[in-house]
Amino acid sequence: MFVATALVAARFLPVWLATGALVVIAAFAAPAALQSTSWSYVLPLATVLAIAALGQMLVVMHAGIDLSTPGVIAFGGNLVAGVGAGSDHKLPVAILACLGVGMLVGLVNGVLVGLLRLNPLLVTLAVGQIVLAWSSKYSRDVVTNQPNVPSGLSSWATSKPLGISSVFWTGAALTLAVALILRYTTAGRRFQAVGANPRAAWMAGLHVRTHVVLAYTAAGTLYAVAAVLLAGVSIGIDPAFGSSYLLAPIAAVVIAGASLSGGLASATSTWIAALALTLLTQMLVIMGLSTAMQYIVFGAAIIAGMVVSGDRVAAVLGRGLRPGRPHRGSPDAVG
Amino acid sequence: MNLTMVEERSITQQRKEEQMRRNRRFLTVMTVVSAAAIGLIAAASGTASSKHSTVSGPSGFVGKGGTTIGSGGGFGESYTAPSTTLDHTLFHARLLPTNKTARNITLAALGRSTKTVNYTLALKCWKNNGCSTGTGGKLTVAYVEGFGENTFRQMSKMEFILQALTYPKIGKIIYRSAHSDLNQAIADFKSMIAQHVSAIVTYPDFGDAMIPVFQQATKAGIPVSTYAWGYVSGPGQNYTTVVGEDTCKLGKTFAYVMNTQVKSGNIAFLGGFPGNPLSLGWQKCEQAALKSSIKVVANEPTNWDPSKVQGIVSGILAKTPNLAGVSYEDALFMSQGGYAAYKAAGIPYQGVFTYRTDESGMGCLADKLKDPKLKVFYYTAGNSQIREALTADMMKLAGAKIPPTIVLPIQLQNQSRRSMCTKGYPDTASPTSLIPLSLLHQMYP
Repeated sequence: MFVATALVAARFLPVWLATGALVVIAAFAAPAALQSTSWSYVLPLATVLAIAALGQMLVVMHAGIDLSTPGVIAFGGNLVAGVGAGSDHKLPVAILACLGVGMLVGLVNGVLVGLLRLNPLLVTLAVGQIVLAWSSKYSRDVVTNQPNVPSGLSSWATSKPLGISSVFWTGAALTLAVALILRYTTAGRRFQAVGANPRAAWMAGLHVRTHVVLAYTAAGTLYAVAAVLLAGVSIGIDPAFGSSYLLAPIAAVVIAGASLSGGLASATSTWIAALALTLLTQMLVIMGLSTAMQYIVFGAAIIAGMVVSGDRVAAVLGRGLRPGRPHRGSPDAVG
Repeated sequence: MNLTMVEERSITQQRKEEQMRRNRRFLTVMTVVSAAAIGLIAAASGTASSKHSTVSGPSGFVGKGGTTIGSGGGFGESYTAPSTTLDHTLFHARLLPTNKTARNITLAALGRSTKTVNYTLALKCWKNNGCSTGTGGKLTVAYVEGFGENTFRQMSKMEFILQALTYPKIGKIIYRSAHSDLNQAIADFKSMIAQHVSAIVTYPDFGDAMIPVFQQATKAGIPVSTYAWGYVSGPGQNYTTVVGEDTCKLGKTFAYVMNTQVKSGNIAFLGGFPGNPLSLGWQKCEQAALKSSIKVVANEPTNWDPSKVQGIVSGILAKTPNLAGVSYEDALFMSQGGYAAYKAAGIPYQGVFTYRTDESGMGCLADKLKDPKLKVFYYTAGNSQIREALTADMMKLAGAKIPPTIVLPIQLQNQSRRSMCTKGYPDTASPTSLIPLSLLHQMYP
């Protein structure tokens, strides 16, 4: 029991420590990054990344990967502007259309990966490209005329209940909901069990393929939610909308301690990793580093984050703590 | 032992059958859900009608009244243009190149706005990325670019088509976009050379990386002209000519505005892709011409990406909340990402902003805000410069000696006196474009 608790803690603790360290560094190197003006940008953008990363996390828990994220966010954002047509009355339909696209793309990914057993890397990339092309055409035909989202959405995105962005509260509630569902509901437990060991889950009577399809469908829906929030934060939609969400959500999930080979993951740790990545970006801009140096520092930080990621720490710790396993060099060791 | 194995197989078989039944039920539910989603999206994203009227009209904006500027002609061109057309696209008829040949090329190109073209054919050509003009002309002209997926480029494509349709000698129009892929851009260019096209116009997104293919085309006798100052080294040698403004003069003009409007304070420079010659050109000259009382607190590349603009501006505002001004190329992106950053930070969208482009959306935002402390000065996106590039190529084919640069003078416009916000134009469109409004509405219904 102690070993299991220690392993789980070791998996998710590093990202919290790293984020704390980043805040301390920012306090000295770029104090402006921690001021309210900066947080008013960092928190909404970190929330958008966190929600996209939550979607990615659900897929990664089942040893999959989803590269259709930019496509869904791009098309979703364009639908919010295009269907919304600058009118608050059309906003609900626009949001529904956006969520519909996300769900549909996720379902297609899920069926192709879960039922037809196609390689998730290539399939989701291909589906994402198709969605991007569709988005590009829709953008050119419809959104060019009126690229701004309905003012109701942008006003809501900039409102600050209790002094903090509405986008943040929405993201925090969603993250909490995902965390609670995964941890305390039967469906969530089954979802985790299938990800941790699909064969054992199948033997226990769980529907493995169904869960994989559900994971991709839920991920697509979460990307669409991220698209709605990003559209509100950005006010206007442009052809490059969502393009920066290809690798960042995956980086957030891995830094948060999830293993790309599937298994456990933490929604709250994923949120913290997204916050750390966004804060780091903001910090580098405020420090006034040259573009080349910003890329170098950001890349090095991601590599460092992966080196000390919870998945690796848990693996190392697991080898040390697991009882009864012969150590290399001991008389019982083999090979 | 055997009995146990048989029982296990039987149990496994039962499980599989049960799972298949559940899968079937699941697929049925999912099919219904996806059909509903498709229906919802289709209903929600129902776009404007595709009805097009078959009409013809002038190839460019020709206003009422005015006079004719210029005289004479040669190489199949008339060196005259309506003053209304020049006023519309250059802000003033006197803002013509100082070099005589360059001035003649400009007048010839913009004067072709009066020639009648078939709008239905132009629209078809625009949508299909090329067409046969139906004139039986033997020339083929190509617009090949590294990136073509924004409104500015799409409008430039239409300007190119409209200009090409004024030449009966041109029988075929080709368009290619490399979607930001350098290798694809080079392959597209080589393909044009292999097809023996008559002339090429390009926006050289990849700078000097395109020199080898430019040289190949020139060696093959194909004139190559660039527009909007996407500068490639060696115009006149490696390729025919470049049409654009003097970027250093643009920077000096920005500095003049900052010196007179800001007087003292902190300002920021935003640029496009890191190291691109357009941004470097004006930034170097603006910095040198600024008063010592004005400090440039940030100089950041944005990759011309509004989302990145939001992040960059947010970072600058966090460090310098009392930012007095911003110089940047793209007016639209500052009305989207830049405005979003100010709004998120809770800082009034005020200050002196100097832009190279004139998208209608920025003007409409400024008009809506009606804040006297928001001072916007702008130049032009320069869509019509592509017309000059094509006419320069056509004159080259007719035997004219083309100057290596066709430099347009700069005069910044004050938003409060001449608003960018133009009725009938999409937010993302530049109102100094010469595309007839009725055609623009068919492009973006």
